[in-house]
Amino acid sequence: MSDLAIKTVNLTKRYSGLWSKQPVDAVKNLNLEVHRGEIFGFLGPNGAGKTTTIKVLLGIIYPTDGEAYVLGKPAGDPKNHHKISYLPENPYFYDYMTGREILTFYARLFGIAEPQRSKRVNELLERVGLSRAADQPLRTYSKGMQQRIGLAQCLLNDPELLILDEPTAGLDPIAHIDIRDMILDLRNQGKTLFISSHQLSDVERVCDRVAILNRGVMVQLGRIEELLAGGHVELIADKVPDNAVEPIKQLGGKVSLHDGRLIVEQPDNGTVDRVIDIVRSAGGHIISVKPYRRTLEDLFVETIQGGKNA
Amino acid sequence: MNATFAIAGATFGEAVRKRILMVILLVALLIILISPAFEPFAAGRGARTLIISFGFGVIQLAGTFIAIIMCTGMIPTEIERRTIYTILSKPVQRYQFVLGKFFGAVGTLAFMYLMMGIVFLIASRLALGSFDPQIVKGLIMFFFQSSLLAAVVLFFSTFVSPLVNYFLSGGVFLMGNLLSSFLETIQRNPDVTPITRIPVQLLTVILPNFANFNVQNPIINPEQVLTDEVAYLVQTIAYAIVYMALLIVASMLIFNQREM
Ligand SMILES: Nc1ncnc2c1ncn2[C@@H]1O[C@H](COP(=O)(O)OP(=O)(O)O)[C@@H](O)[C@H]1O
Ligand SMILES: [Mg+2]
Repeated sequence: MSDLAIKTVNLTKRYSGLWSKQPVDAVKNLNLEVHRGEIFGFLGPNGAGKTTTIKVLLGIIYPTDGEAYVLGKPAGDPKNHHKISYLPENPYFYDYMTGREILTFYARLFGIAEPQRSKRVNELLERVGLSRAADQPLRTYSKGMQQRIGLAQCLLNDPELLILDEPTAGLDPIAHIDIRDMILDLRNQGKTLFISSHQLSDVERVCDRVAILNRGVMVQLGRIEELLAGGHVELIADKVPDNAVEPIKQLGGKVSLHDGRLIVEQPDNGTVDRVIDIVRSAGGHIISVKPYRRTLEDLFVETIQGGKNA
Repeated sequence: MNATFAIAGATFGEAVRKRILMVILLVALLIILISPAFEPFAAGRGARTLIISFGFGVIQLAGTFIAIIMCTGMIPTEIERRTIYTILSKPVQRYQFVLGKFFGAVGTLAFMYLMMGIVFLIASRLALGSFDPQIVKGLIMFFFQSSLLAAVVLFFSTFVSPLVNYFLSGGVFLMGNLLSSFLETIQRNPDVTPITRIPVQLLTVILPNFANFNVQNPIINPEQVLTDEVAYLVQTIAYAIVYMALLIVASMLIFNQREM
């Protein structure tokens, strides 16, 4: 178990509805295993139960059923929190404090004493590019700046495990890239990252494995390459005679021919050479050959919509 | 312990930034400062009683409002704004959070009483020509009264909404001020049956006795002859500390079960 940063066993969280509202299972029988050193994407549309799971992992709420472990200890044990850090979904920080004050405050919660405390705070302000705004109150910060303060407070304790809830939501593209670079940087340092997101393109580039959650239920789990296997190649050719279509169709895939213009969608890369041979020997002219990788977005939409129909 | 004091410090910082609390403090300071102007309305010994009991009245009122207004929202606001998520994700035990909030509240009250006390001493010195040590004793007693009230409010805030809390803690404060003399009255009356008396007795014991701290006005407790003043003060302060400790422990236990 010690090689697992996060483990949940049949984790269930039910919110009992007030008055007329039905009780909801925000998370249902979730079994997660996140390995140390891994970047794990925890994906799902809004309301899927991502934040709920994270709150259980941090001991902010308690499970209705099942178990949750973080770094080998039962979730929510504050003694364990020296090794963990958490970036909330929105900047839930005291907004009357300045950037420096809030980092100093959290550093004190981590038990970091002076003179290391000021040194660490200054280092991190520098690292996230907020040295100049350090003495302004957080309420004057832009969303991107607040997110950077959020990241800085995550790094105060040099954590083993970072739990980031929607780290890129609502940021402009530049801030996006900043955050992504920082995540990659942390990966290189061997940290474990657990990143929740409903925006997939970010995650695709940085995660080793992902789980997709829908309405509290895990509907996909795996390595990104495996989940995204099965792309296709699109081949477009011109001046192709009608009699070339039959042999190409026999190779499989979607084939269409209009006025000598051929479009082929081949599921398997291996047969593309054969298609090209056939086209050229029939006097056709290749215009383009383009591989289409399946994106996480495709998978996500397929999975979630599949779930809705079921 | 470091975490507890960090939270207490942040709580203090937030309280002294609260406009409504500062307005109450400033108004109280202003009234205390101008209170010697009432001197001509009473002659001789009456002047001293008037200025001192008036000053205490203002300070007690301000302390009461500050304690209630400051503490009703203290924990609920952290949950509502979710600032507590980040705090609990740090190596902070939930009991440390509650204790930090309480220390922050008491620290704020101490600061407020210090301000009001200094102004009161100066004003009374100017008006009466001499420094009255009774004032310091009174200030200490009212400080403990407000701190006990703060603990009551904080306790309720772990399970009721701020609005309900205003009424609950306001009611407890009033009852805690009046019950003991009410009980004495009905105990002296032979017509009162045990069916009425026993519940009153029970309530008097269970609810915090705020009347003990009202040392300013012997008119309220005419039969209370203080034979040993020091023992009385020590006892009352000890009572406050024990009662506060019980309330805070109860708050911790409730807060520990809470979902945010
Ligand atoms: N405190 C709460 N009380 C009742 N229902 C809640 C509460 N918090 C979240 N929920 C419900 O639980 C579900 C999951 O929410 P959440 O975990 O925030 O989703 P996500 O973070 O994936 O967007 C939603 O249907 C949401 O309405
Ligand atoms: Mg969420």
